[in-house]
This record gives sequence, structure tokens and C-alpha cells, in this order.
Amino acid sequence: MLFYSFFKSLVGKDVVVELKNDLSCHTGKRRVDMDSCCRIAICGTLHSVDQYLNIKLTDISVTDPEKYPHMLSVKNCFIRGSVVRYVQLPADEVDTQLLQDAARKEALQQKQ
Amino acid sequence: MSGKLGDRKNAIFTRSHNEAILLIGKSLEDCPLDEDEDAFQGLGEEDEEIDQFNDDTFGSGAVDDDWQEAHERLAELEEKLPAAVNEQTGNGERDEMDLLGDHEENLAERLSKMVIENELEDPAIMTAVQTRPVLQPQPGSLNSSIWDGSEVLRRIRGPLLAQEMPAVSVLEYALPQRTPQAPEDDRDLSERALPRRSTSPVIGSPPVRAVPIGTPPKQMAVPSFNQQILCPKPVHVRPPMPPRYPAPYGERMSPNQLCSVPNSSLLGHPFPPSVPPVLSPLQRAQLLGGAQLQPGRMSPSQFARVPGFVGSPLAAAMNPKLLQGRVGQMLPPAPGFRAFFSAPPPATPPPPQQHPPGPGPHLQNLRSQAPMFRPDTTHLHPQHRRLLHQRQQQNRNQHRNLNGAGDRGSHRSSHHDHLRKDPYANLMLQREKDWVSKIQMMQLQSTDPYLDDFYYQNYFEKLEKLSAAEEVQGDGPKKERTKLITPQVAKLEHTYKPVQFEGSLGKLTVSSVNNPRKMIDAVVTSRSEDDETKEKQVRDKRRKTLVIIEKTYSLLLDVEDYERRYLLSLEEERPALMEERKHKICSMYDNLRGKLPGQERPSDDHFVQIMCIRKGKRMVARILPFLSTEQAADILMTTARSLPFLIKKDAQDEVLPCLLSPFSLLVYHLPSVTVTSLLQQLMNLPQSAAAPAPSNPHLTAVLQNKFGLSLLLVVLSRGEDLQSSDPAAESTQNNQWTEVMFTATQELLRIPQAALAKPLSIPTNLVSLFSRYVDRQKLNLLETKLQLVQGIR
Repeated sequence: MLFYSFFKSLVGKDVVVELKNDLSCHTGKRRVDMDSCCRIAICGTLHSVDQYLNIKLTDISVTDPEKYPHMLSVKNCFIRGSVVRYVQLPADEVDTQLLQDAARKEALQQKQ
Repeated sequence: MSGKLGDRKNAIFTRSHNEAILLIGKSLEDCPLDEDEDAFQGLGEEDEEIDQFNDDTFGSGAVDDDWQEAHERLAELEEKLPAAVNEQTGNGERDEMDLLGDHEENLAERLSKMVIENELEDPAIMTAVQTRPVLQPQPGSLNSSIWDGSEVLRRIRGPLLAQEMPAVSVLEYALPQRTPQAPEDDRDLSERALPRRSTSPVIGSPPVRAVPIGTPPKQMAVPSFNQQILCPKPVHVRPPMPPRYPAPYGERMSPNQLCSVPNSSLLGHPFPPSVPPVLSPLQRAQLLGGAQLQPGRMSPSQFARVPGFVGSPLAAAMNPKLLQGRVGQMLPPAPGFRAFFSAPPPATPPPPQQHPPGPGPHLQNLRSQAPMFRPDTTHLHPQHRRLLHQRQQQNRNQHRNLNGAGDRGSHRSSHHDHLRKDPYANLMLQREKDWVSKIQMMQLQSTDPYLDDFYYQNYFEKLEKLSAAEEVQGDGPKKERTKLITPQVAKLEHTYKPVQFEGSLGKLTVSSVNNPRKMIDAVVTSRSEDDETKEKQVRDKRRKTLVIIEKTYSLLLDVEDYERRYLLSLEEERPALMEERKHKICSMYDNLRGKLPGQERPSDDHFVQIMCIRKGKRMVARILPFLSTEQAADILMTTARSLPFLIKKDAQDEVLPCLLSPFSLLVYHLPSVTVTSLLQQLMNLPQSAAAPAPSNPHLTAVLQNKFGLSLLLVVLSRGEDLQSSDPAAESTQNNQWTEVMFTATQELLRIPQAALAKPLSIPTNLVSLFSRYVDRQKLNLLETKLQLVQGIR
């Protein structure tokens, strides 16, 4: 439940989700001009997450719309957790010390 | 012949519910066996029961089950509907005649009532619910009855809330051989609304139309609801369980929904699956009632304003739907939450929760935010919620300013438009969506929310602490400190018993995920070769250090947790807890310093190794507050001794400054002797007053490093404090200190300014310190060098 808890704390923040099928989800108002070599990033606001790490994003923007015109009209999306490759996070929203502690606790718990 | 008899006897004596076999045995047996008469007596008893069952089913005792007649009766009776009194007498008359028909008919009206009446309960009315006298006396008893496992069903029979009545009566009638109770009849009669034609609960007839097509079928629902976890209160499932605070989210369901849950053990006895015909409309009704709960909107997080909050988002969310006229299919969760709307704040929620000032203002507050409500299934920390709302408001303001620019405009306002145009909308009913989300939320019930949800809870606690600290400084208006309370489900102890087959020769071991079988005989051999390379040794050493760090970290996390455990534990356990804690702290210290048993720690090596690793340093910083002063001083001395080495190793990570604050804290508690020796260590000053070496690389390194310099200044400051506060101190100490200070100032004067690092903080009393030992000119020099005077910066 560690990452579910972690993502819950990021609800409402802007993230970039990169998918395993090389489609990357950008949610949000800002358009990132990154040269992502054939990898699409979808940027948006994290609306919600569940225990399977399925992600709902609102206000999506795809970094390379020309390549994927079907995404132009999509505002909100639901991404199944298993197809996510990366999630890029805002660094200042993450407390790494706390995350380490949580991971250690989880490891201890599983050992028991 | 005898063999056959023997076989039959075996078959008969397999008592595991094989009544059919018994019957066969009975019918085939011509002569009673002499051997086991006792067993046959038992058989005889069973025969009697069988006879009775036969009679009931086929013989004279059976109820005449003619559906056509029942239908006609229903059709007749529906005309008598407005005449409430007639109904009652009609009921009474028919009671003797046709028990089953009576049940069905009442069942029908209950079902219909359940559907229709609920729709009249507009959420807008819910705020006015407080004025309804009916509800006033009940919530108290309702809430207290929640905690009584066996009592609930009995209490429910009392006329509590109007909506709860129908469901309960339905269940009662569904039970075989139960007669309706008089007081309930009174209530029900007065609330009849729908003609009974809309429902046909007769066995074998088409499904009840009170439940729209597309309801998740009973078969699907039952297995998923069969888990004990669903039963919202473990109190009901396992009566010995003490009442827990806070209540699980499901507890907020009214008894209506508790009863509605299929196979809920609340009912005392599970419905035998052999009674499906009567149950299927019932089950559908239960689904109807059960689906009233929307776990997501229920927001299991119960913080200071639980009652108000729990209800109103539902109200808010329900509003638009109702307005669209989805009557009959939309069931606002009125019944479940009325209790809480009407419950005045002092009414009995569990003690640890803070009582809200009143649900009213908060309701309104949330209602105004209704369009912004997030119908998701996560429950948010109040701080988090606040942040989200702020964000949303900002967005809305932005969008408003943009005058509905482009397709990025606010989605909320056009939400309804989209809904109307979208041909694929509402494929699932709200109830079905609730059903699915309920299943998902069930899986989230955890036995230990503190561990499962550790990151989230602690993150927001930290945020709140930060904002609290800021507020204290700013003297602003004090916000309410709302805490997130996560529901906790009691742990079920599942002892795994491997599958055993009856009648098998020997023990068959079935290998499963819980009971794995060893497939490969793998032997672990550790190579201890002598000709390991140096690199390998270094690597192994580092790995060992890492392992030690991790072990110590586990101890540290445990120790940090003790405060919480202390609060949660009972009085008797507390001394034991303290002991444990002390023990753990000692073992942490041992881990840090290396477990050499001698009085003196001959080598700092172990500690230095730990300090070379980044997380080791952070860990030491966190451990320091827990150590005793001597232990901590020891650590500090060791650090000071090997500071240049550590500085060198830290060049990349630059984590040493994190040690500054715990060290400073420590230094301010040290006696003057220690401070003196510490200063000596730090500056690597020669013990004797001999001519100083031309260069002091130790000191140089220290001064060039941020951490080193800051630590040095802290130590100096402490020394100054001690001196100034205690002028009549012992002369030896004084002398020592003075000597050290002289040499220190000399050294400091020698160092070129460019080489100095920028310290993290500069204590204020350094000027007075130096003024004791140096003359004016040098004092000025020192001041400029160390930038001790504020104005120079």
C-alpha cells in the first residue's frame, strides 16, 4: 500500500505519466517543450489513484500532439496502472525521508 | 449379501448431511441390523424429521402455493389500498388462511415503498431533517445500538426511521414462519404509496420491477458480499470484539443497510440457499438498499466534522442527479445518513472523535462547494482537501477570467451539457457504480491504517505542523487542527490449515500458495576464500556496514514510534514499553560504535565507516536525540576527531550539515570540561603549549567546511556561555579553557579569510568571547574575518 499512499499525497499535483506503449500522458496547464525522442508524455493533474495504481488525470496535454492527434480532444483520462512506465513528479512535493521510512516499515511488516 | 449390507451400512453411517442416502438406507433396509442399535435409534429420529419434511413439502402441512390465486388476491387488494384500516383487518384475516400469500403481499408493498419513498427524500430536505420529531429520539439509541451486536436487530424493529422500516419488515417477512408484528403494521399502513401491482413477488413470476433491469444479479453479488469484511461492524460478525474507535466507514451505514446486506450475519441466521424464490425480490431489494451507500462519497475519513461531512457530499452529489429526474433509480442515501443529520453534535459518536460545533454551517459550506465535489473513492486528509479546494477555486477564477476560453474552459459548468449530449452516458446506474466502488473500497479496509497509509498520513501531519508553526509565529487566526482518522478493521486471524482429504490413505500434502513445497534442494555455500582481492574486502566491508545501518534504522523507526504506542497502550504495559525502548536505544548505540566489549572504544573505525555513507549520517542525526548525554558526547567527540576525513568523504554528498542541529542541541548541554576537550579536538590543537606547527591541516579542513566551521562556532559559543554564566568556576577548568582559547584565537588569526567557509549560523556571543582573549586590534581582525558583526555582512 506504500505507493498508493504515496500517490494519494500527490493528488492535485501535476505529473507526467509515461506509458509502456510509449505514449506519455501529460496532465496540466503547462506545456512542456521537451524533445522526448518518440516517447509521448501525457501531462496533467492527478485526479485520483487507487490501490492498483490506476491513475485518473484531468486536463491532459500530450507533448507531441501531431503524432497522436486522437488525443487532442481528450481532457480527462483513466490510465490502468499496469501500463504505466514512469510517473514524473514534482520534486518538492515528495518527502524522501518519509518515503524511505515508509519503505523500511513496509519491508519490516512483510518480513513478519 | 452380508457384504452388500455392510456397504449400505457404511453409506448410511456417513452422516455428513447425506439425508438422501439415509432415505435410501431406510427404504432398502428390510431387516434392522442387530449390531448398532444406538445408531439406528439416531436414524429413527432422523426418519421422523424426514417424515415431517415430506409432509411439509408434499403432504398435508404444505402451504397451498397457487400463484394465480395469489395474483388475483393482490389485484383485488390493491383497490383497497387507500383504506388503511381495511388493510389491517384484511391482513389479520388472511393470516390464518394463507401465510405465504400474506408475506408476499406485504413484501411487495414494502419493496415498492422502499423505492418510492426514498425518492421523496430530497437531499434538500435533509438539512431540515433536524426538525422532524420522528428522528429526534432515535439517533441516540441508534448509535448506541450500533455497538450492540445482538441487540441491533431487535432494536431495529422499533419504529426508528421511516426508511428503515420497510427494509426491515421485508427481511422479517422473508423469514419462514414469521408473522408480522403489530406495531410495524401500524407504521407501514400509514405510509403506503404505490399500488401493489407494480410488484409481483410471487414465486416463479417475473422479477420485481421495483428494481430496474440491469441490477447486478444476486449470484454475482452474493459471493462478493459473503466476505465477513463486508459486514460493516466486526462487532456483529464477532461479538467478542470490543468496540473500536474510530468506527469503520461502513459503520456509518444505518441498520437499514446493515440488514440489507445479503448474508449479513446481523440477521442472526443466514438465509438458507434453498429459499431463493422468496428471496430473490428480497435480495434485489437489499441490493437496492445496499447500494444506497456510496463508499466514496462517504468519505471514511472522519475528522472533526464527521456527521456533517459524511452526509452532505452525498447530498451535494445527489442534487444534480435528482434534478435530472432519475426518479426511482436514484436513491439518495437518505436513510443512512439521516441519523447523522438529525443527531445533534453531542450525540454519541465514539469518544476520540471531536464533536463538531454543528453540522449546519459545515453543511452549507460544503453544499456551496457541491459542484466542486470530487466523486472519487479516496478519503482525503482535511489539509489535503483544503489544498485541493484552493486549487480548484484558483482554477475556476482563472477560467472565469478567461471568459470561457477555448476547450480548456472549466469543465464543471459544461458538465451537465455534456451529460445531456453524450449518448454513452449513464450506461451504468448510480447504484451499480456504487456497487462497484463499494467492492473496491472494501478491499481498502485495512487492519492497520497507520502502517498501510503511513506516508500519506505523516506527510500531511508534517504539513500541518509546518503551517501551525508558521501560524504561531504570525499570530494569525487559528485554524482548526483536524486530524485524519482512518477506519480500522479488526484483524482476522487466519490460521492456515492445509487441505486434508477424508478417507485417504496417509497424508496427502497439497502444495498451495500458503503451503509451499520445497521443489529444489538448494544449498547455500558461502565462500570464504583467503585470496580475496582487496577490492572485494572493501566491498564486503561496505556491505556489512550497510546491513548494520539498515538494522539500526529499523530500531530507530521502532523507537520513534514508541510515543504513539505509549498513548495507545494500557497502563500495565507501559513500563514494559519503556524498558523495551531503552533496550533498543542501547542496541542502537552499540551498533553505531561497534560492539567491542572493552571499556574503551579502541577504534573509531566502525563509526567512521557508518559516517562515510550518506544514510548513515542522516541516521546518526536522527538517533542523537534519543541517546543519553554521555553516549551522544562520545559520538560527537569521535566525529570531531575524524572530522577532516569525514569532510573529505562528504565532499560529494554534503550531508554533514544535517548533523549540525542535533549537535548544537547537544553541545548546549555539555559541561565545560567536555567543551574544552571538544574544542581541542576540533582544532587539533597541540596539547602542550609548545610552539604550534606551521600549518594545521586539520583546522584548515575544518574551517573550510561549512559544517566544520559552524560546529566550531557553536562550541565557542557554548564555552562563552559557560564562562560568562559561571565566573566562579573552578580554576583548573578556567585555565584550561583560557589556554585553549588563546591558541584557538592564534590559529584563527592565522587563517586567511578566503579560506573560510560560510557557516550555517553564527552565534551572537562570539564577540564578547574573543574580547576576553585578544586585544582590540586583533579583535577587529577576528570580527572581520569571521564576519561576527552584523553590519559587516
